[in-house]
Amino acid sequence: MPLKIVVPIKWIPNTSSVNIDPETGTLIRTNVPSVINPPDLNALELALQLKDKYGGTVTAITMAPPNAILALEHAIGMGADKGILITDRVFAGADTLATSYTLAKAVEKIGDFDLVITGQETLDSSTAHIAGQMASWLNLPFMYYVTEAEYNEENKTLIVKRLLEDKYEKYELPLPAVISAAMKTNKPRHVRLIHKIRAKVEKPIITWTNQDLQLKPECIGLKGSPTIVTKIEFMGIVPRKREIIDGKTPEEIAEKLLEKLIEEKLVEL
Amino acid sequence: MALQKRQVWCNEWGPEINKEDYRGVWVYIETDEGGVHEASLQLLSKGRELADKLETYLAGVIIGYNVEQYSNEPIYYGADKTIVVDDPQFKVYYAEAHAKALAYLARKYKPEIILLPATMRGREVAPYTGGTLKTGITADCTGFDIDPKTRDLIQIRPPYGAWMLAHIKTPRHRPQLATARPNVFDVPPRDETRTGEIIKEKIEEIKTHKVKLLETIKIEKEEEIPLEKADVIIAGGKGIGTKEGFKLIEELAQELNGVVAGTRKAVDAGWIPYERQIGQTGKSVKPKLYIAIGISGASQHVFGIREAKRVVAINNDPDAPIFQHADYGIVADYKDIVPILIELIRKRKQEKQ
Repeated sequence: MPLKIVVPIKWIPNTSSVNIDPETGTLIRTNVPSVINPPDLNALELALQLKDKYGGTVTAITMAPPNAILALEHAIGMGADKGILITDRVFAGADTLATSYTLAKAVEKIGDFDLVITGQETLDSSTAHIAGQMASWLNLPFMYYVTEAEYNEENKTLIVKRLLEDKYEKYELPLPAVISAAMKTNKPRHVRLIHKIRAKVEKPIITWTNQDLQLKPECIGLKGSPTIVTKIEFMGIVPRKREIIDGKTPEEIAEKLLEKLIEEKLVEL
Repeated sequence: MALQKRQVWCNEWGPEINKEDYRGVWVYIETDEGGVHEASLQLLSKGRELADKLETYLAGVIIGYNVEQYSNEPIYYGADKTIVVDDPQFKVYYAEAHAKALAYLARKYKPEIILLPATMRGREVAPYTGGTLKTGITADCTGFDIDPKTRDLIQIRPPYGAWMLAHIKTPRHRPQLATARPNVFDVPPRDETRTGEIIKEKIEEIKTHKVKLLETIKIEKEEEIPLEKADVIIAGGKGIGTKEGFKLIEELAQELNGVVAGTRKAVDAGWIPYERQIGQTGKSVKPKLYIAIGISGASQHVFGIREAKRVVAINNDPDAPIFQHADYGIVADYKDIVPILIELIRKRKQEKQ
């Protein structure tokens, strides 16, 4: 029995290219490119490795505005078979519970699946909620921080190895199940031209709106979100001395720095 | 108020609750072979403060096997009571079982707030608990407060973009769930003279999926000072260039009794482990001295060192943003300065002896 895997992904602003204007203290966000949430690439890689080994399909899904189709195209370029863009204004402003509910309903609509693999967390909000919440909506077993997975076709179980702060654990999960892939533990494959060409022919990305999912407006988007952001507190930049230590030689500079550190009792020698 | 109107109750998830039925602040106490996890104790200090503001009780909730022995611990650290579930069904840790047990207890006792440590296990248990109870959850909070008018928990966390803190509320759902970043709050003083109520809960077998633990492999790690507690941190970024370059950072850290850290780029390059990452997606630190070497100063990194007392930056690019966020800047290649600095410190130490 081949494995049918669903991978929810997210298209996020590239956080590492955001800088702060030191004078005004505001964010310089012009031309910030978007990327697939990097931990989701680890999830896709884990899914594709399973597909390579056991056969099956990988379907990437994302709930996002229409431009996130780029994320699905990337996933297809890596080797995913299908992409589903879940997009509708009524989904906007969802917190993690409403998001996971919508994604779970989409997975139910897909119907025939064995495994959901998410990234460990998103780098733009770092909640790590979606896998656990989806598992609870779908009433499935779940496991976080998975580094390796093997499929036991006979028992229809998944043997997973996962990484905690101070140990590896190996578990056996009945399928279907939800797992999250540990960050940075595999090397996501690159987009390949052959997949892009195939995508041009096969057109594997479809769009679902709430016409397709038929979810109650009070259970999705901002309306369906139990949590709300009530205030954004700007922290301001911390005033610093901004003193450049100069000197004729590295020795002189190092000496001057050390004097200051000792004088201010920042180091003890 | 306008904000609350945007929310409509979703009956598909269950009938609307009455907030007045919910009282009390809970802290989920994580335990393992080593006993009670410190990150849970840290939450008891904040939990105490919140319970006092709400004029309600604070309870520690312990779920596990052979854990009754820890029943007094939450009380020694400030709780009014402990709810303990000591049962062989929790002999092997599985998040679904803990989440379902916590949800069961929450339905029975109706606390208004449940705080969990944002440890790896806490981050796994919390969302499933929230999903089971169909309530909101906020991850990785760094602060909490109470809105006295509504009794709502104000959950404070850094959102995307750094330099901002989002205040989040769960205005209509109870309990209000949140995880909190470890080492942000201090462990309250231990007082063995404190007494409180210990409720021993029996739970029928919780129906979970049949998950089997096959193997556990301990990772032998040197005991290191957690970044959040370090007085001196020496951090490297992309400008270090190689893993070998980090050896200089380690040497300097050793001489100054400091701890090594780095940026996301240094982690991505594999020069340091993820636990050593400072910044918005890593850790926030509050050392007396922070030395940033080969770090350009992206806002997501600088976010993590707001509370450093003094920041020193060494970078060969005079236009690097890090200099705007540093007290002392040195414009130079780190390979020219750091070895000399190490030499100098060694010399001073010898002179002192």
